[in-house]
Order: sequence, then C-alpha cells, then structure tokens
Amino acid sequence: MTIGRLPDNAMIIDNPAVSGHHARVLLEGQQVILEDLRSTNGTFVNGRPITRHVLQHGDEVLVGKHSIVFDQNAVEPQPVAGAPLESLGDTVYLDTKQHRALRATLESARADAAKSVNARPATPVATAPRRVGVLRVIAGRSEQDQYDLGAHTSLIGRSDTALVRLRGWFKPSVAVAIARSGNSYVATPLGGKTLINDERLEGRRILQDGDMLNVSGLILEFCWKDDVQAESAA
Amino acid sequence: MSRAEEGLFVVCDGMGGAPAGEVASELAIQAIARRLTGDESGEGSTSSPFLPHTTRLLDAVRQSNEFIYGQAQKDPRQAGMGTTVVSAWIREQIAGVAHVGDSRAYLWHNERLEPLTRDHSLMEAHIEAGLADEGKKLPVEQQNLLVRVLGREPAVEVDVTEVPVQSGDYVLLCSDGLTRMVSEEELAKAIQTFQEPQQICDHLIATANHNGGADNITVVVVEVTGRWWHQLIKGVGSHLRRTLPTPLTRAGCRNLRCSMKVSSSRTTLLDQA
Repeated sequence: MTIGRLPDNAMIIDNPAVSGHHARVLLEGQQVILEDLRSTNGTFVNGRPITRHVLQHGDEVLVGKHSIVFDQNAVEPQPVAGAPLESLGDTVYLDTKQHRALRATLESARADAAKSVNARPATPVATAPRRVGVLRVIAGRSEQDQYDLGAHTSLIGRSDTALVRLRGWFKPSVAVAIARSGNSYVATPLGGKTLINDERLEGRRILQDGDMLNVSGLILEFCWKDDVQAESAA
Repeated sequence: MSRAEEGLFVVCDGMGGAPAGEVASELAIQAIARRLTGDESGEGSTSSPFLPHTTRLLDAVRQSNEFIYGQAQKDPRQAGMGTTVVSAWIREQIAGVAHVGDSRAYLWHNERLEPLTRDHSLMEAHIEAGLADEGKKLPVEQQNLLVRVLGREPAVEVDVTEVPVQSGDYVLLCSDGLTRMVSEEELAKAIQTFQEPQQICDHLIATANHNGGADNITVVVVEVTGRWWHQLIKGVGSHLRRTLPTPLTRAGCRNLRCSMKVSSSRTTLLDQA
C-alpha cells in the first residue's frame, strides 16, 4: 500500500508537502513495515526520520504535514491528526482524503483480521452473476412471449411503466410488482385479482421456479432464465 | 419537504448547526423540487434498472449535489457546506427511495418495521467491513462521522431502492435527530399505537425530546391508504420549521396521508399549517 499525493496511491494525501509516491506500507510475515520512497520531505515516525521502520501499535507517522497513527488492532481508525476533522456542529463529514484513508485502514484491518486466528471472517463479496428470472406467457393476450425480469422492480398492469402491459379499461393500473431482492424475486399484489398456483396472492411472496401467476386472466410462468435457455436448446 | 399530492417527500438535514448547513439543506430541497417539477419526457437514462420516477428522483438528487457544490465553490461563506438527504417518491404504489448520509427511511409493512436505507456513516462502514457489531458503539467523537453527504464533492454516489407499498403500510423519513434518540422498537410501537400520521409524528418528537434530543429533528410519516374509490382524505397536518420557507404540504394525494413534523432545539414550532 502506497501513500502519496498522486491518485494512484492507496492512501492519497493531496498536499504539496507530500511527494507523488511518498512512502509505502508492506506486510512481511507478521510485521508491518513502513518505507520511505525517497520522498522530498521525508517520512517520520514518532518525530524521527526513517527510511525503513517496523511499525508498532500507536506509532505516529508523519507524511508532509499529515500524521497517521498506526493502529495494530485497527478496529477504530484514528483521525488524521494533521488534518483535523472539520467540525460542523454535530455531524461531521469525512472528506475524500480522510475517506480514502479510512478505506485503507478498513481494508488493512480486514486483511489483518483474516490472518489472525480469532478473526471474524470478512464479509464475503458476491461475485457470482445474479440469476435472472423470466415470465413466460402461457395464456392470454400480451405483447411478448416472454419477459426478462432484469429491472429492480418489474410491474404488471395497465400502466405505461409496466413491463407486462395489460390491455383493457378495467385492468388495474398496477396489478403486481415483482421486485428483485438479492437472488430472489418477490411478488407483491397491488391491484385487481392475482392468483398464484390457483391461490389468491395476498401478501409478498418469493417466487419459485415454475410458479404460475394468473394476473387478471393473463397466465404467466415464473422461471429462471438459464433453465429457459436450456429448455429451448433441448 | 413534502408534496403529498405528488407522493414526493424529502428530508434534508444540514450539517450541524452551521448556517451554511441550513443553506445546504434548503438548496437541496429546492434543487430536487425544481428538478421534479414539470416536463417528464426525455429525462432519465433508459438503461436504469429502476422505474422512471425513481430514476428521475435519483437524477434530481445527483443534480442537487452538483448545485450545492457549485454554490459552495462560489461563496466562501458557504464553502464546505453539506447536507444529508432522504427522499421517497411514491407513484403507482411503488416507493422509490434515494438517500445520502444518515437521514433514514423505513417501511412499516405487515406489522414490521423495515429499514429502507443504510447510513453512510463511519459506524455503518465498520459494520459492513465486519469490524464492528450493530450493538457496539464507536468512541463518541467518531459516532457522528459521515462518509457521504450532498454538496461536499463534485459528484456523489446516491443509494437507491424501490419497494412496493400497500394499503396499511407507512413510510417514515427522518433525520438522525430522531434515530439517535428513539429506537427502532419505539418507532414501530408508535406506528402501531397511533396509526394516524400526525399523532405518530407528534409522539416521536415528544419521545425524542424526552430522551434528551438536542439536535434538530424532522419526521415525515406517510400512511398508504386504500385506493381512491374507497379512501378517506383527512387533513394533512404539519409542523414546519421557520427555516423552511415554503410549506409544500398539501392535502389531496389520492392514496396517501402524510404528516410532517420538524422540531428544533433552537427554533420554536410554528402553528399547525
């Protein structure tokens, strides 16, 4: 992790006293090493200039006019002392620099936590692409044979904004809303009469593969997109 | 701000007690209201995963950020001003919610209170990073740190969500002045007990003050009632703070009843509008 003035640093300190790439922090075994990158104004730890230093808990690192406190436990990042958090009364806003510094602290804390035995696991980041659901028209009048539920909220109704448009004066403006929630879809009835698998849809309901919706006479089957493709390929 | 007839509700909380904070929150409200008035066509990106009205709201919030940031650059007295925002636009029974900062939105649905927003605060950042538990408190001086607000950067990331609302649901928007002093259990209980939006607002503000509320408090409670053919429009009560010049609350939305209440430690409440 590098510290410096330029935007490609992990911790950016936008101040003329700070070199483009001023210092870096690296992990060697259990040790956290701070190295000065031949900066113009030098890097100081607890007031002494350093070129390479093993950081100890509570060390105060001075880069330009900004001091950074090394917190081994890193549960509570220390505010950058050289740039005191601007107090605007009660609530205080972290500016970009402070925010990035915070990010760096949080990330290194996470990395540390992953190493230590007692660490709680870092929050897993969902990387798998989300499955997309589709509504297949089984019976009734509609503009398409199949509708992809790609949006956050997909509506079925007479409204202009509906994905599945219902025709006819007496159809509800919005009959059902289908909202994406993580990897599932939740159907909420909002008007008219909607049946799901021949039962009245009353409250919110998570859609299952193969569920049959009857929305004011239009019959739709909910299924996952990959299944649909597999079926049509077969 | 609330424009109940359009289903639009916005709460902005200027940063701290600084005069610039008041300016920022007012600018935000004006900018959002202006953006959402008038022509609907040709707005919003077509690739948005959200419904058109939510996309418009998102654009309006983003532009209000640019606007405040621009004003802050021009006027040194207002340099560094910022504000939180939480906004809900309810159309066709879908509430689009956009927020930045630590003002919150909740949905009361099926006898349960569901948070619709997550604070952009240091505390939340810690929880998300797996470094702190919900119950654990940061040191006092770090509790009020926000990692995102309107007006402090040229561009801001706005969190957006959409949720369907049904008859009997309530949408509650509030500033941190409320949520610091009143627990979610108490919020839930107030809705359950009082049911009438104005009474809920009054009760929540009273509770916050009773618990030692020192900050400005803004609460907007919107009740989703039946559809137009069997609904009963009641008067919309509101308390507006002096610093909000335009009482935008009006009765007449087809299926929403709402109340807004603002309390401030420094300013007295005006009479009911």
